[in-house]
Amino acid sequence: MEREQVTPVAAPAQATRAAVYRAPRQRPLWLPQRWYAHIILWIACAVIGFPLFYAMLVATQSQAEVFAYRFLPGTSFADNWNIVINNRHLHTYMINSVFIALAVTAGKTVLSLLSGLAFVYFRFPGKWIVFGFVLITLMMPTEILILALFRFVNSLGWGSTFTALIVPFLASATGTFLFRQHFSNIPAELSEAAQLDGATPLQFLIQVLVPISWNTIGALAVIQFVYVWNMYIWPVLIMRREEYQVVQQGLATLIGGDAALVFGPMMLGAVIASIPPVLVFVLLQKQFMSGFALARDK
Amino acid sequence: MFAKRLIALVVLAALLLALVPVAAQSPVDVKMWIAFTDNRLDWAQQKAAYFNTVFPQYNVTVEGYANYEELFNATALASEQGALPAIVQYFEVASQNALDSGYFKPIADALGDRTEVNGLAVNLDDFIGPVAAYYTIDGKFNSMPWNASSAIMFSNMNILKAAGVDTPPATWADVEATCEMVMAMDGAPEFCFTWPNHGWFFEQWLAQQNAVYANNDNGRADRATEVAFNNAAGVALLTWLRDMKDKGYLYYSGAQGGDSWATVDQAFQSQQTAMAVYSSSDTAIYTDTGRQNGYEVVASFMPYNQDAEGGWTGNLIGGASLWLVDGLSTEVEDGALTWLTWLNNTENAAEWHQITGYLPIRLSSVDLLNTDGWYDAIAANGPSQVWMDLQIVQDAQGSNWFEGNPNFRVAADQLAGSQQTAATAGALLGNFPGIRNIVTQAIDTMLLTDGADAQAILDAAVAEANVTLEEYNALNAE
Amino acid sequence: MASTPLLITLATTLIGAGLIAYVFRNLGYNVLLGGVLGGVAGALGTLFFMLPVNFCMFAPDPEARYTIELADQIFGLIMIVLGLLMTLWPLRWWAIWWSRRNDPQYATQQVQQGLFKSRFLPFVFLAPTLIILALFLYYPSLDTFRLSTLLARLDSQRTAFVCVDNFTRLVNDTGYFGVVGTTLMISLAIVAIGLVLSLLIATMAYQPLKGARIYRTLLIWPYAISPAVAGIIFLLLFNPTGGIMNYFLNGLFGIKIGWLNDPAAAPWAVIVASVWKSMGFNVLFYIAGLQNVPKDLQEAAAIDGANAIQRFRHVVIPLLSPITFFLVITNITYAFFDTFGTIDYLTGGGPVGSTTTLMYQVYELGIVNKDLGKAAAQSIILFAMVIGLTIVQFRTQGRRVNYGA
Repeated sequence: MEREQVTPVAAPAQATRAAVYRAPRQRPLWLPQRWYAHIILWIACAVIGFPLFYAMLVATQSQAEVFAYRFLPGTSFADNWNIVINNRHLHTYMINSVFIALAVTAGKTVLSLLSGLAFVYFRFPGKWIVFGFVLITLMMPTEILILALFRFVNSLGWGSTFTALIVPFLASATGTFLFRQHFSNIPAELSEAAQLDGATPLQFLIQVLVPISWNTIGALAVIQFVYVWNMYIWPVLIMRREEYQVVQQGLATLIGGDAALVFGPMMLGAVIASIPPVLVFVLLQKQFMSGFALARDK
Repeated sequence: MFAKRLIALVVLAALLLALVPVAAQSPVDVKMWIAFTDNRLDWAQQKAAYFNTVFPQYNVTVEGYANYEELFNATALASEQGALPAIVQYFEVASQNALDSGYFKPIADALGDRTEVNGLAVNLDDFIGPVAAYYTIDGKFNSMPWNASSAIMFSNMNILKAAGVDTPPATWADVEATCEMVMAMDGAPEFCFTWPNHGWFFEQWLAQQNAVYANNDNGRADRATEVAFNNAAGVALLTWLRDMKDKGYLYYSGAQGGDSWATVDQAFQSQQTAMAVYSSSDTAIYTDTGRQNGYEVVASFMPYNQDAEGGWTGNLIGGASLWLVDGLSTEVEDGALTWLTWLNNTENAAEWHQITGYLPIRLSSVDLLNTDGWYDAIAANGPSQVWMDLQIVQDAQGSNWFEGNPNFRVAADQLAGSQQTAATAGALLGNFPGIRNIVTQAIDTMLLTDGADAQAILDAAVAEANVTLEEYNALNAE
Repeated sequence: MASTPLLITLATTLIGAGLIAYVFRNLGYNVLLGGVLGGVAGALGTLFFMLPVNFCMFAPDPEARYTIELADQIFGLIMIVLGLLMTLWPLRWWAIWWSRRNDPQYATQQVQQGLFKSRFLPFVFLAPTLIILALFLYYPSLDTFRLSTLLARLDSQRTAFVCVDNFTRLVNDTGYFGVVGTTLMISLAIVAIGLVLSLLIATMAYQPLKGARIYRTLLIWPYAISPAVAGIIFLLLFNPTGGIMNYFLNGLFGIKIGWLNDPAAAPWAVIVASVWKSMGFNVLFYIAGLQNVPKDLQEAAAIDGANAIQRFRHVVIPLLSPITFFLVITNITYAFFDTFGTIDYLTGGGPVGSTTTLMYQVYELGIVNKDLGKAAAQSIILFAMVIGLTIVQFRTQGRRVNYGA
């Protein structure tokens, strides 16, 4: 029997064939097909959704309503909104986060494209050493180095600037590998044709590679956007100027250690702060998956 | 060609000249970091906004941090960047670190022999006794006092009365007896007693028993080189707390340090506990929340160990003070001094006391509150929205403040009754914030570990604290 | 003994020379060349770790700021061995590769792309990446090593060299082993529970159901929630005095769990919050993997009389192993590092340290206690653990992971 090479991630077309193998079975008409799957998924979605759903309810409630465990929208949405937006200016933190997340995402994509191009379409001395140099950084989580990184970034005079939140994160081993894998799987005829046309490497990148790499770019963009948006410990260390602080720091001002835990504004802030990354992730879901599928081929 | 360049140069120069007066007129920025994110931050920001209208040459801005510990960390981080503001609020236990760090300039040095700044009288003699004693080191003010408090107890009198107790208990044994009655009644709350596991309360309970925290007279005679809290007083406290927990009286949230306050607020304000030892800083919120939700809150002295030798010796002052950052330009420094002086004027000190429960730190503000005319005086001083919105303030209008609000005098009375000893002066100690964490962890272990032995736990904590103190001193002592 | 460093370097030079000469002899190369190369590599390997600390663990401190004990010397030996491995192993690997470079059996199977002809351009393209990696990853790594040999505080200018005390004092620190245990326990639970639940959900969600897209979206979104927000939301749910979790449990079973103040329960609060946050990612990858399981395989198994569960166990799970492998690595990284924000908001490492992971401990030491030296030392141990786990994973991958025929 001939077996195909199994790759970790899907060619989606196969999914529809699954139904063929189900033995026909009697079921009452009112039951949807695979009713058990629907029930389990319903339960799973409900359980996964409950924390956020409850947080949204609490976001509209006053403290007394929270302790009364009312599963209805409360009466304090306007008050909570006033605290979150007018007093604590959560939106200014969010604007900073959007800027940083977009800058890192864009910069990282460009640098990763360039290094992917260099690794796949060039032969140069010491390629394996350079590749190893990049490879090893996969095992160096920034979190471990933050104390030293903090000192170094300060010594550059970048403390409490956007530069400190952007530049150290522009290079990415993950991104480099993603594009290197992706480019390696592109038929060689493409680059040969481009060379025959006399295209420069940059022209080739922009006119040929980028248009067929949108899924990979999308996948990387999702990861990076979510990663940067959710960055916590590094901004807490490096960003001391309130006007440049990011959303995860802004949330901390809603918690207030000394102040009583007032859950309404806290939850409203948490919900608002989660909208952009969730939106990006859900909207780019398809790109995310297919980008990875290509990356994990071979 | 040349003419064109010349014209360009002239235009440029003219533009630059035109900018100069604008630059000269733009106000001097004075930034202050404080460790509050609640209505105390709102108050400070509202005060700053008013100040900026009175002194348009300055632009004071106030930024809030979640708690003292976070602000303390943030200051160290910011100093690495040279990004310190003009004024930082440091809690009392960070005093030694503040002196050693070199971040700050003593207020007394900045003032020199001036008795007024920008027409405002400084009046350092007007601070109440305990505050002046605590914040003068070697006879001079290092920082500007602001929020000074003491540890007191709040009781939910509805619950206590239902259990047949008419006055809040005074000693540990009384607390235990009260709890027995509370927990035995029908409709008993879930717990009876709680407190924030913050190092400050351990220090208070040690001082009450006249026990020192560190050697060299609590670090007041000479730099402290060893901690000493594994004494009988410390053991007695841990044993009592554990006993209360085992009997089901004590609610312990598991939160430590700066995170612990909120958990106690929540337990008390949702009436799940009858009594809470807390800081007087929140007298206004506790009293007001009780009033709004239909239960009576009474403040009383912090319960003490009746078995300690000499009974109750006294309590410590707590809170934080405002430190002036070193190396500011003259304009910024003057702006900061002007702001600090104004912030601590009689009316503001009285207003600050009313919206929080911190001590009215000026003698003149105590006098003011003892008259019937305090409301108009504060109202004429650019009052904050926070103050105007506070119901208890409105209700007390036109009468002596303390008579209508006895909860607000408990902390001051407690400090006034305290004996002055090395123990009640409070410890001056390097890396005190770090050592506090070791203490709260020890209490945490005591309460949550089976068969915990108070002496062994405190001995281990002392050993650990001594290592960090030794390392701190190795890098900081002359 | 002033000559100890010299003796050690000499000894490792000889070891390196001997080992590489042996390798060269087996490969049929010049033994003398191997000896020289090996000797240089051996000396470099030793000096890499020993020069920065000036062989301090093998000689008493003239100023007596630190003491040398057996643990320090053993630690020094371990460092030397590591240094030797770092230079000699690549040398051996390179020699073997060199000997096979023209052997078609080992030739690289990479698709040969049409190559642009420039020696200069690739470096231009790579320069930004390489410079940033060097400055913001490699340099701080080295600086972390330097910090780990110091008594250094965030709030003081002075520092003092303490050799490897920051490491060796951990040998007697039972608390530290507790933290290691806690980290492993929490990580294991997050990975195991997360993957099992995700696989279960994915087996339902990959099927072509009505509304499958909606289900999928509703299942995966928590991936985009930040660990800190997960901590905030679960703080609301798990709160001992007002939490909805205990309200339910009390109403249904009459029990209340000290999610945040019982050391036995608190790790589970962290685990539940973390699994909730990370599951979307796992589900997404498992759905994709399941869609890719060839149906003929399942069919063949069905004809053999295997039931659904057997089919799943013996056919589907092995075929998913590459994805599982990938997810195990990403989930371990997540559990080690990204749970920080959740823990910080939810439990602050307590109660009784029951949720203090290694990463949280580094933060507590370095920022809260401002003890940079000890924090750096513990960072390095954490770093070593990550590398160790990665190597173990890569070595087992080759044997266990089933890539199909």
